[in-house]
Formats: sequence, C-alpha cells, structure tokens
Amino acid sequence: MTETVVKLRLNQQQLELLDRTIAQGIAPDRVALVRLALHEYAAAHNTEGKTESAQ
Amino acid sequence: MTDRQIVSESVIEPGTGKAIELLKGQILRIEQVEGGQCADFNCFNLHDYKEFMHCGRTRTVHGFHPTTGTFMWSAPPRERAMLYILEDTVGRNDVLFPRCSAYVYEASYGFAVHTNCHDIQAEAQREYGLTPDDVHDSFNLFMCTGVDDDGHAFMTRQTTKAGDYVDLLALMDVLAVPNVCGADVMKTSNFALKPLKLTVFAATEADLAQVPKTPTLASQRTPKDFRNPTIKTDRPLRRDPAYTPEFPNTPIVVTELAVSLSPEELALFNAVKRGDIYGEDDAAALRDLLFSWWEERFLQAHAGAPAIESK
Repeated sequence: MTETVVKLRLNQQQLELLDRTIAQGIAPDRVALVRLALHEYAAAHNTEGKTESAQ
Repeated sequence: MTDRQIVSESVIEPGTGKAIELLKGQILRIEQVEGGQCADFNCFNLHDYKEFMHCGRTRTVHGFHPTTGTFMWSAPPRERAMLYILEDTVGRNDVLFPRCSAYVYEASYGFAVHTNCHDIQAEAQREYGLTPDDVHDSFNLFMCTGVDDDGHAFMTRQTTKAGDYVDLLALMDVLAVPNVCGADVMKTSNFALKPLKLTVFAATEADLAQVPKTPTLASQRTPKDFRNPTIKTDRPLRRDPAYTPEFPNTPIVVTELAVSLSPEELALFNAVKRGDIYGEDDAAALRDLLFSWWEERFLQAHAGAPAIESK
C-alpha cells in the first residue's frame, strides 16, 4: 500500500512549540509527534469509532 | 474577619465617587447601605498610573461575572493581579458593560446634564491629577447583566440588600476609585440612586492565606523593559524619524515538514479533518488537527486566556 505524504507548513514559533513538547518526552521527533496527534485526536473525535480503511 | 483592623470608613453619596489609596495587604469593602445600588470601579497602580485594571483580560480569565476567588488583572504588557476578590455576598458583578456616560444620557434620554459614571470617575480621579481620558473600562459591582441570544449584553434589576458587600484585597499599592453608578433611568440600580459604604481594613494573615499564588513571568513587562518608557506629555502625534521597527520573532519563516501517512492513518485523518474549512488543503487541515490536539492535551486555561495558577 502506498503512503500519502502531507507537507505541513509550520513557522518557527509553531516548530518551537513542537520541539518543546518533544523535549518533554511526548514523542521522539516532529513527524512522530504529528502521528501521535493524529492517532489521539482521531480516537477522541472519530465518533463513529471506525474508518473505511481500518475495517 | 473579626480580627481585621479598620483603617477608614466613609460613605459615598449618590452622584459621587472617591479615590482611595489602598495599600498592598489592605481590603476595600464596598457595601450596600440600602441595597440595589451598582458601584462602578476603577483601579490604578498607585506608583505608575499607566498600569490599570483591564476588564478585557479579567473577563477572559474569569468570565463575565467575577466574584469570590477571582482576580482583577492589569492591562498588557503588565498583566499582573492587582486585586483579589476575597468575599462577595451577592456573586453578581459585571465586566461586560462600559461605564455610563454623558453621551448616553444625552443621546438616548435627552439630558443636557445627568449623573454618569464616566464623569463621576473623572471628577474623583482629578484629586490625583488624572484627566477624563484616564478613566478606564469599569468593573461594575452588583450589576446584574448577561448576554442574550443575539449576542447583545443586557442589564436587569439587582437583588442586593442592605449589608451586602464585596471585599477587594489589594495585591499591590493601588488607587482604588469606586463611585455610585449614576444610572437612575435604567434597571442597573433598580431606578434609584443610593449611597454606598466604603471600609478599608488591614488584611489578616488568614485573609492573605486565601490568595492563590499567581505566576511571575518575563512577559509581565514594566517600564524598565520598554523601548520607550517615557510618557508622552503633549497631545499631537508626530512620527519619530529615528524609529526603526523591532518586532519580535520577525521575519516569520515557514518550513515544510513532510509527514507520510499510511492508508490507515490517511483514513483516520479523512474521518476527522475539517474539510469544511480547509477544502482540499490537507496540509492546512493536518496543521489544524495538530494544534487542536495540542490545545486539548496541554493547554491549562481557556483558549486565549493565560494560565494563572502558579506551579
């Protein structure tokens, strides 16, 4: 299965916030932090509890 | 409370107000004499009047009706807790409405002259050399207000009784300026003007122990931190030919961060992304998701408000 690349556009202040969050041990790097955010956000907000490809 | 020492007592009559030097650790009690009277209130740092109470910051932190256990904050860039509401026997105050003014009474009611909070405040503040332009947005004690379904602020009658009071504890030396609200043709004070009693107490150790600790941060700047600390003393505005802008964190530089999403992750993303806002721009939608997640997981205050609990 092919992966989809999304190119986030972030400024230096946004990156600083991400890096400070990473420094707390939340995730090992920026990309991992974005992935973590996606999984946790989807778990909290995907009220149907399922997705098309996850089935 | 019974251990408190009284520093001064006075009564402000309808149509008047009084500027009071309230030192750090003193409590100003504003008390109903007959009941049903709104008090407007201004507050300045006694040693630097350019630091004053900011209703906007206060309502963002504490909501539209600050009461027992909340602070009165000063305006940016100071943003310090000036006063703490130690006790409030009613629990209905307002930081939505501005002070009433001569213009309101002339424009809406046809009065050439009418008691109004702006002019009463200005006259009380004049004792300390301030001008009518120095009167700031007022903290309206005992004023019963809300927001209607159309988003308009409204006021209605109050239910205060004689003896009801609000105790304001000074966290710095301030000039505290309460006045009897001049509105007698509105519901604010139930269509009548009544006196208010003012009592200044020295706070007890028990009083002071009730105050939560607030942060002291580098962003709370005072004139020693200003590029221009000099107060302008004339009225016209003229460009400074020597001015060169020094905006912090500029230029803003955008960097790309490539994130590979597996089919499963893409499905998760598609299930929750805000396509209604960002359309086909998945990069913007993922950025939104990232910082929305961050807010939910890490933010310790309402969005747009500072955290005020000191660690």
